[in-house]
Amino acid sequence: MALEIYAYKCKKCGHLHYPFRMRCKECGKNDQFEFETVPLPRKGKLLTFTYVYNLPPAYAVAKLGLGIVELENGLRITGQIQIPEPKIGMKVTGAVEAVREDEYDRRYGMVFYAA
Amino acid sequence: MIMRDVFVIGIGITSFTRLEYPLTEIAAYAAMMAMKDAGISKVDHLYVANMGSGRLNRQLALGSAVVDSLSLTPAGAETIENGPASGASAVKQGFLAVASGLHDVVMVAGAERMREVNPFDATDTVAMMTHPLAEYIYGVTLPSLAGMFTRLYMEKYGVTERHLAMVAVKNQDNALLNKFAHIQQKITVEGILDSPEAMTNNPFVAEPLRFFDCCPVSDGGACVILACADVAKKSKKPLVRLAGVGQATDTHCVHERKEPTDLLAVRGAAAQSLKMAGVKPSDVNVAELHDAFTILEIAQSEEVGFFKKGEGHLALEKGQTSLKGKIPINPSGGLKGRGHPVGATGVAQAYEITLQLRGEAKERQVKKARVGFTCNFGGFGNNVVCLTFMRED
Repeated sequence: MALEIYAYKCKKCGHLHYPFRMRCKECGKNDQFEFETVPLPRKGKLLTFTYVYNLPPAYAVAKLGLGIVELENGLRITGQIQIPEPKIGMKVTGAVEAVREDEYDRRYGMVFYAA
Repeated sequence: MIMRDVFVIGIGITSFTRLEYPLTEIAAYAAMMAMKDAGISKVDHLYVANMGSGRLNRQLALGSAVVDSLSLTPAGAETIENGPASGASAVKQGFLAVASGLHDVVMVAGAERMREVNPFDATDTVAMMTHPLAEYIYGVTLPSLAGMFTRLYMEKYGVTERHLAMVAVKNQDNALLNKFAHIQQKITVEGILDSPEAMTNNPFVAEPLRFFDCCPVSDGGACVILACADVAKKSKKPLVRLAGVGQATDTHCVHERKEPTDLLAVRGAAAQSLKMAGVKPSDVNVAELHDAFTILEIAQSEEVGFFKKGEGHLALEKGQTSLKGKIPINPSGGLKGRGHPVGATGVAQAYEITLQLRGEAKERQVKKARVGFTCNFGGFGNNVVCLTFMRED
């Protein structure tokens, strides 16, 4: 099964959220966990980005690319970027990959590449 | 709403630097200075602000440790944690305790000892306040959020790296006048941007932010003692009243904000605090803003209302925020120059404003300062506490 990251659609008003929250930001009328999961689209545009050099101990790299992407359905997501020369507004495509690994743990998240 | 007036009757601070003392003693040292300053030997209650002692120092329940170290038992004591806004949150709790009539004299101390761990662990500890599933797992740190914010600000408002460097130069200049400040180093815009050494002395930390755009990782403690009017009247120092407190929150994930260059929690908290004090932004004579990154001083100076949105960097260029300017910002050196022991910062801001309003700030004294303002910025702007102080005489 392909790995997915999900948005959460309020069953009362249809508002989409990412990440998960317990109570709908739009209507506030849903019961606990009353959301439908919708896979996040993979295509979007890069809103802003940075390369960061002072990293937590889990990262054995010299620098790490991070960005905020606006996806096709209007939702935004923070993710890693693997783009040599990023530009604000450029088209990107995401893939779900390991984003943080340490001794006991491997976490998956969205990594964006130039489209 | 019936509330009692609340006054600052004592202030104390430690050097902000690397301190080879246990965390409890860092908090207690500042507290003893404040007790000496206030001329009191007893308090009704103690609030201690701290963010990361569990991870950084393997110590919890700091409030209980500090109250006993000061031999102030059986006074009540609590630890207040609200990320980098822990300090001002603790001052706000002290305010509520005195204003409500529950207590007459309350001590508010803040302390952090971040250099007990290595810089990677310190960065990781601070990053733990980002969203665990949607930010932290990616390696998002506070400098990286500030870097992404800065890039947007540059694109939208024409802020350049020279403007950022000007904030660093100004605040480090101010810090040279503050013997408690962490950074005691004269720098110039040319030296950190244009000189042949600039690439090595000022490397990128989180593009486009460079080394000199970021506050240092510091150890330190600060303390203010708050009291009701009956107690404060006995003080021989000029009376400073804590006239307004405001707090507002914003989304945990920065990407969920409609306009990512807006700091709505700063706007909300500042407006509340100034309204409660009955003043306008233009009435403020001196301000301590939360310049953990140089861009934040510019952005906050706009959101508080000192300048129009997108024009903070222009006011900076004209020198309006320097010591002799229209509205001096961060006379203490700010987080950039004084240092940023996370839990202590909000209290240290209150310390500096009290010192300024009393007229005791010596070389860095802002002339005729009567209304002072602080902005303590938690998370990446998701929990902000603002305080307004007024000299009463």
